[in-house]
Amino acid sequence: MGSEARRRSRERIKEQRRKEKRAAKRNKTLIVLGAAAAVVLLIVGVGYLVLNADRADSGYEGALAPRTLQEDGSVVMAQEGAEAPVVEVYADYQCPACRQFELLNGDVLKENAAEGQAIVHYRPVSIFAQRPAPVSTNSLRGGAAARAAADHDRFVQYNDILFENQPTEGEEGFTPDDLKDWFAGTDPSEGQQEQFDQRVDEEAAVVAEFTGEFLPALTEDAMEQIGEDTLGTMVLSDLLAWGDGHGHDSSFLDGTYTGQIIEATGNAYTRYSGDNAFRATPSVYINGELLDNNTALTARGLDEAIDSAGSGEVDTEPMGDGGGVE
Amino acid sequence: MDTPDQTLAPDPARGSRWDAVQPWITLACRIGLAAVLVFAAVSKFPPALSVQAVEAYDLFPVEIARLIGYTLPLFELALAVLLLVGLATRYAGAVSALLMVVFIAGVVSAMARGLNIDCGCFGGGGQVAPGETKYGISIARDIAFAALGALVAVWPRSPFAIDRAIGLFR
Repeated sequence: MGSEARRRSRERIKEQRRKEKRAAKRNKTLIVLGAAAAVVLLIVGVGYLVLNADRADSGYEGALAPRTLQEDGSVVMAQEGAEAPVVEVYADYQCPACRQFELLNGDVLKENAAEGQAIVHYRPVSIFAQRPAPVSTNSLRGGAAARAAADHDRFVQYNDILFENQPTEGEEGFTPDDLKDWFAGTDPSEGQQEQFDQRVDEEAAVVAEFTGEFLPALTEDAMEQIGEDTLGTMVLSDLLAWGDGHGHDSSFLDGTYTGQIIEATGNAYTRYSGDNAFRATPSVYINGELLDNNTALTARGLDEAIDSAGSGEVDTEPMGDGGGVE
Repeated sequence: MDTPDQTLAPDPARGSRWDAVQPWITLACRIGLAAVLVFAAVSKFPPALSVQAVEAYDLFPVEIARLIGYTLPLFELALAVLLLVGLATRYAGAVSALLMVVFIAGVVSAMARGLNIDCGCFGGGGQVAPGETKYGISIARDIAFAALGALVAVWPRSPFAIDRAIGLFR
């Protein structure tokens, strides 16, 4: 019995040691896991607070600086006689990054303009006009409606509304009914609402004709005659000019806000060169110099860029007949 | 547990050769995966763009998409730090691999729903022209990264790790 008992007790001690070792290892693992979790929480938590602080900097509810409609359909928002940097904003109403820019920095622009620190030049474009519907139709209808709102000095308000209600990709949005309802929410007179409604309906018809029949036929012909490669490098307004000489009369766009935004988009591509070339939206320029995303898409970055820039000149002329200024 | 530095004099036997090489392979995976995660996190800045990349997947309500857009790059950064310093190596590797699986699921779902988006894996993101999607490349890339993470999770033993100093995964 003696030797058997000793053997058993040795086994027991061994087993005990193994258990202790396992427990020690488990404890180490728990400590390491806890430390790792703390590291993750620290980095994510502190990082979030820092990033969010940038966002909290924006937020402006005060009165807007006066807006002036320009000949090309763009809108300048600035205090009268302001000597300040010119901040040009190119945006497409169907472009999600433009929506992010607007949500983040819309108020930064308003505040700077109201304080006479910036001359804000809103230049809506439609870079999606050649995409398949409904991306193209949303983009064009949105742009035309913003222009129609500018006729009644409601561009800035309406610009905000459009971005807040931006349709998700591939979904029909910015319908004429929606567009009219949103305008009604800006407290217009009856006459203004009537004019706006009529305009929106007309533009919706032009957009439907343009994207439904005209552009597909033109694109097909151009593809055959000048080839896909060259076509890929052409901006839409150049393609339209080519079409005018090749049996695709684009005169139905003349005088429409749809036509105007297509032209404005084409001009944006040729307005700048080199590093400042217009390539995508949102594009934000200060005195003609393109801002990088880290500057344009953080509140602090944009604010500092405006602060450190000298004064500039708007490169468009105000609408002659007083346009939207009432 | 108490083996001396295994990089010295690898035993000709097959098993011990793996034992000798594996820590260095794991170290390479840790560094490689951490580099990928840091690059992914940094290129997602500024968060406004990251948010629109998440929104493009059209899977979450606006507020959730915003939260993901802000915190995902930070989480990637945190995982990279854990892998670099070798803290909770096995779990950091496993979570990284899981994260890649989640990314793959997101890309596949975008593909299945016929969305035309950039994955936003390394910045960018959002809509692209039809025919310009790169879902295949994105998925293949994520599978490779998931494999790195899985390898670290299965063989966490590696040099230059806090774990080792504490006495884990020696």
